[in-house]
Amino acid sequence: MLDFAVAVARPPREVDVDLQELILSLSRFWSEQGCVVQQPYDIEVGAGTMHPETFLRVLGPEPYRVAYVQPSRRPADARFGENPFRFGKHFQMQVILKPSPEDVQQVYLESLAALGIDPKAHDVRFEEDNWESPTLGAWGVGWQVLLDGMEITQFTYFQQAGGIDLKPISAELTYGLERIAMFLQRKDNGFEMRWGGGLDYGKVRHQDEVELSRYAFDVADVAMLRRHFEDWEREAGRCLEQEEPLVIPGLEAALKMSHLFNLMDARGAVAVTERVALIGRVRKIAVRCARAYLEQRERLGFPLGGNGNSKANGKRAAGKTNGRADER
Amino acid sequence: MTRADFLLELLCEEIPANALPGVREQLRSGFEAELEGAGLAGAAVATYSTVRRMTVHVAGLPAAQPDREEEVTGPPVKAAYTADGSPTPAAIGFAKGQGVPVDSLRVVKGPKGEVVAATRLIPGRPVPEVLAEISGRVVRALHFPKSMRWGRGEHTFVRPVHNVLALFGVKRLSERVPVELFGVAASSGTFGHRIVAPDRIELTDADGFTEYARRLREAGVEIDPSERRRIMEEKSLALATEVECQVRPDPELLAELVELVEHPGVLRGTLAERFLQLPEEVLVTTLRHHQKCLVLTREDHVAPYFLAVCDRPDDPDGHVQRGNEWVAGARLTDAAFFFAQDRKATLASRSGALDKVLFHQKLGTFAVKAEMVGRLAAEVAGAAKLKIGEKPVRRACELAKADLVTAMVGEFPELQGIVGGIYARLDGEDEAVWQAVYDQYTPAGLEGALPRGPVGAVLGAADRLDTLAGMFAAGEIPSGSKDPFALRRAALAVVRICAEAPLACDLAAVMRDAFALRSDGTADEARLAALLDFVQERVRYYLVTAASVRPETAEAVLAARWGVVPDDVARARAVEAVRGEEAFAALAVAFKRVRNMVAKTGEGRFDAALLNEAAERELLSAVEKSEKEVQRAVGRGDHAAAMRSLAKLAAPLDRFFTDVLVLCEDENLRAARLALLARVEKVFLRIADVSRLSAQ
Repeated sequence: MLDFAVAVARPPREVDVDLQELILSLSRFWSEQGCVVQQPYDIEVGAGTMHPETFLRVLGPEPYRVAYVQPSRRPADARFGENPFRFGKHFQMQVILKPSPEDVQQVYLESLAALGIDPKAHDVRFEEDNWESPTLGAWGVGWQVLLDGMEITQFTYFQQAGGIDLKPISAELTYGLERIAMFLQRKDNGFEMRWGGGLDYGKVRHQDEVELSRYAFDVADVAMLRRHFEDWEREAGRCLEQEEPLVIPGLEAALKMSHLFNLMDARGAVAVTERVALIGRVRKIAVRCARAYLEQRERLGFPLGGNGNSKANGKRAAGKTNGRADER
Repeated sequence: MTRADFLLELLCEEIPANALPGVREQLRSGFEAELEGAGLAGAAVATYSTVRRMTVHVAGLPAAQPDREEEVTGPPVKAAYTADGSPTPAAIGFAKGQGVPVDSLRVVKGPKGEVVAATRLIPGRPVPEVLAEISGRVVRALHFPKSMRWGRGEHTFVRPVHNVLALFGVKRLSERVPVELFGVAASSGTFGHRIVAPDRIELTDADGFTEYARRLREAGVEIDPSERRRIMEEKSLALATEVECQVRPDPELLAELVELVEHPGVLRGTLAERFLQLPEEVLVTTLRHHQKCLVLTREDHVAPYFLAVCDRPDDPDGHVQRGNEWVAGARLTDAAFFFAQDRKATLASRSGALDKVLFHQKLGTFAVKAEMVGRLAAEVAGAAKLKIGEKPVRRACELAKADLVTAMVGEFPELQGIVGGIYARLDGEDEAVWQAVYDQYTPAGLEGALPRGPVGAVLGAADRLDTLAGMFAAGEIPSGSKDPFALRRAALAVVRICAEAPLACDLAAVMRDAFALRSDGTADEARLAALLDFVQERVRYYLVTAASVRPETAEAVLAARWGVVPDDVARARAVEAVRGEEAFAALAVAFKRVRNMVAKTGEGRFDAALLNEAAERELLSAVEKSEKEVQRAVGRGDHAAAMRSLAKLAAPLDRFFTDVLVLCEDENLRAARLALLARVEKVFLRIADVSRLSAQ
């Protein structure tokens, strides 16, 4: 075997970047790639995917590029601020590129370079990791991106959302911001990671974690959560039954249901036998929102373009892909 | 004849490791079949891959496809020729259509009688043209565990395709093969490793596959998976030896690692000593499953190092090693957190929470399961006459599923059972109990260790028997390749435990009870029958594969009786051992006559006083002797001796059938003779239905 030239000795350069610089650098980078830099959605969500800028924009023919930070709430993952790696709320940087560009992997690697991570000095690998959200009726195929063995990004080609086969296909990049910052700063306690402004993550967020854990595990009023779940389900129905369905209010109601479900689940109040049914009720609303959104965009003549052959694009999924390499 | 090569490479985005072995296999078999169909058989097809490419190399192709003759059949002879043998318009039209002179038509036999046939010459086409078509068909027909679309969504494949290399040539790869795949037209070059040497590599006029592989190697890519594996093993050994350690053998992980890279890089990382205080199983699982690292050992204990693959040859700034060490440390810190959290309460105190964990929609929670397993375990232990006492079995069943609600199993589901065992040990449970909990999911199949003691064997069998009975009762019956609950494996494990632990309980009887427990007495008899067949099938499989008897022997033994697996195995081994001996040659035929006669007429009333003929008396005394001998032989476990005793019945039976008319006029006499034969049948069936053995 032919050996490669031994690298010229150079001083190891650790990238040292705090959380807010990380966010600023990524925002700037994706802004330069022609993305709308959006803001976090102002409703509790479990992941950046639930933001309408992802869930709705990936539907239909219209091209779109967007990047935003999304605080993501997973009440059941909360650990009273005692576990150095687990948070009940964490931050994702979410990027949607629609359609997925030919050189999307290359552009992604450049985004790492923008953080000061030179791929030439690291081991960057793309390992299979597919994604599915039963709540959103969505799934995709892709990888977790490993930087020197550390999972730093979820990279997904969306195949279906709201039960609708997607065309064109969007690439979704989800950067786990805490993890990346901890990794770059070599901190093995998330609360000691530098946020910026002279403070570390713990000083900014530790008390939230403690209180949100207490609330999710011990305090939340289950009867109230359940009642509101049903209230919002009815409200979603009312929004979507309007003569011109109210898509965003409908979706917001579904997002609230999803978060209420997560709280009930963390509280241990979801019986094993009803779990699937509750998730199914949220999905039902999400699917209706997706269809209503597509119809709305079609009525509007797909204002963002994209050569809209709406019939083909909006066709409901007939079934799962059959795993064959047929051309479509 | 000149000999030419063909090279096809698809460069993709990273392909899932679990798809690649299948890709290589399908490409090879697909090309072989297509080449044969195109009259190009005999060429050698080899396939290769990396995480980003799939490559086909065909060697020994002719420069041009040979001309082929094809026979086309036409109208029936009757319609093709008149009485005087001259061709009709039908024959003339057919010949014209095939482009052959009418006097070249021949007469051949078709499925519906004689017809005329024309032999058409199909001239060979240029091979590159044929290869282009074949490549398109074979690649598009590939199956993957999961496919995807990308970009405008027009193509479906395992991952987006970026470059197609397709070259053909005699000695040198001089000619492009005009194929287009997923919107990418084939070119004469490819690209190197994304980090090491990403530039384009032009391969026109390359010196065959050898140069292709060499140029890729120079660009950081080792195209041959077996070579990557060899290099990884070599590097691993060297890195382990440097720190006086051994590599913990892990062929399964290594096979995966080979598929994850283009370059077979391996590095060694160091772990902080404090992590060695974690249970070794947790340490190994964290490194192995979660970080895909090879574990190093020293004197059979986990050493504070690991080996990680990286897709590059070097680590210029040490980032890769430090990064991997940091991640391993982070993962282990996380595991240590869960371990500390779990240890705040005993394992036993957690079983209460099992009523929140669903086992199966129709079968309820794990609390229900624990209850069922407890009842079955008591029954199995009793039926198998184990002298282990009720207490340890009951305790093991109480604790068995409690680890499902620990943080550790939540994080590492593959450690269920093992985590429970460790916690039970740390809680001070008896050795028999914690080992039983620890071993409850072993063995995984025909390979692998059994539970260490009888309590573990009972728990392992009872747990799986409940799963089998429950799933069948709920209608979750495996069919064809569909076995989502891995019931075949569960049944085989039960059979193995019973055979080898051993547990001499009657599986058929235990399963009836297990099924009744799970179906509230409203049992669907067809499902129970399916369950019994299903388990019997696994016993048969075990006899043939693990006990190495011929299928016919297994059949003969199981047809007589089945369920007490150690007895089934002993009988099968004995029959297999002695069935070749001379004395058995006639036995199968004689016993077949016995069975036919008894089956046809049913048993009669036995009255020895009526049996007066010499042959009758002789057979009667032989049977009485045999009954005693068989009983004694089986009692001391010598089934071969029992078989030899049965063999002694061959001669008296032969004389009986020669001298005695069984179906005689006298009803009472007939009944007595049939009853004698029924006794013969019964003593045989204690061992095997030898009528199913063909004569040697």
